[in-house]
Amino acid sequence: MEKKEKIIMTVTIGIMCFLLVMIIFMQFKVVQESEKTDINTLQATELRQELANWKTKYEEAKEKYDETAETLKTYKEESSAESKTKQTLEEELEKLEKALGRTDVEGEGVIITLSEKKQSDLKEDEEIVSINAEDLITIVNSLKDSGAEAISINDERIVNSTDIVDVGDTIKINSKHLRTNEYQIKAIGNGSYLESSIFGKGGYSETLDSSGIKAEIQKSNRVQISKYNGEFETNYIEEAK
Amino acid sequence: MLFISILIGCILGAIVGINVPIIPYTYSSYLAIAIIAALDSVFGGIVGVLKREFDIQVFISGFFCNSILSILLTYLGNKLDVDIYLAAIVVFVGRMFLNLTIIRKYYIDKWSKKIKDKKTENEKA
Repeated sequence: MEKKEKIIMTVTIGIMCFLLVMIIFMQFKVVQESEKTDINTLQATELRQELANWKTKYEEAKEKYDETAETLKTYKEESSAESKTKQTLEEELEKLEKALGRTDVEGEGVIITLSEKKQSDLKEDEEIVSINAEDLITIVNSLKDSGAEAISINDERIVNSTDIVDVGDTIKINSKHLRTNEYQIKAIGNGSYLESSIFGKGGYSETLDSSGIKAEIQKSNRVQISKYNGEFETNYIEEAK
Repeated sequence: MLFISILIGCILGAIVGINVPIIPYTYSSYLAIAIIAALDSVFGGIVGVLKREFDIQVFISGFFCNSILSILLTYLGNKLDVDIYLAAIVVFVGRMFLNLTIIRKYYIDKWSKKIKDKKTENEKA
């Protein structure tokens, strides 16, 4: 009987020790783990504290963000102003290049073809006369007079420095010698004005016709004129101060 | 026999306690108060043994009832938003210190008696 009681006591105390130590170790673990401040293990008050902390942090971050956004905005404004200047400069440059004949252009205009008449086409009092620089200069001047914005002769763009000179039996244009029986003059501008300047009554086409040169005109909405390929070299001129 | 069972219980408890999945932190305060209550019971039991008043039934019932009651009180305190567990800790820990004092005094008395006895024996010799 006493032995039985002793065994029961021993077992009970063993179980109690087991429970106590188990709970103690569980608690150790919990405390150790909760130092990592996992949100699942936090109490309501701690959560509240944490929330307040985050709120302050958020407000600080937001303030910083606003500041940065402001700076960014000013930067953007500056850069847009810069790009505006750049755009104006580019536009200016484009305009100048267009005016100089540095770009391929197209637009409404006319294509005038000058060719020497064949023997059979000649009238009695006419004789074969080759096209000379004088004819071309007159035509170019007439075209310019009637508002041509871009002119080329056999794809040689007429620019500021263009020369049209008779050299022997060739015509020198832009320092290139052309020797041909046919000249194609392209001009961009108001088609009717351009046409009437040459082919109007008393125009130069009549003079050409009487000197044995056939002039034909073709109006087009898309006349293409290629750019000037030469150099713009100056040796003597300087900007006046 | 008793020591072996205590040893086995402690080792098993440690192993199980380490491997058990972690409980939410919210419940850890209940666990802590239960531990304090149990430890108080243990010290009470030791004092009972020393005073030769130890009753296994009182000890076991005290061990479990104190733990469960303290947990319930803590729960109630949480519900009422009053930190009742603080009062429980004060009571339990205070009693633990009292019991420890009793244990200490008991052993001091015992040892001083022994030393005295030895001295008188030496004087006799």
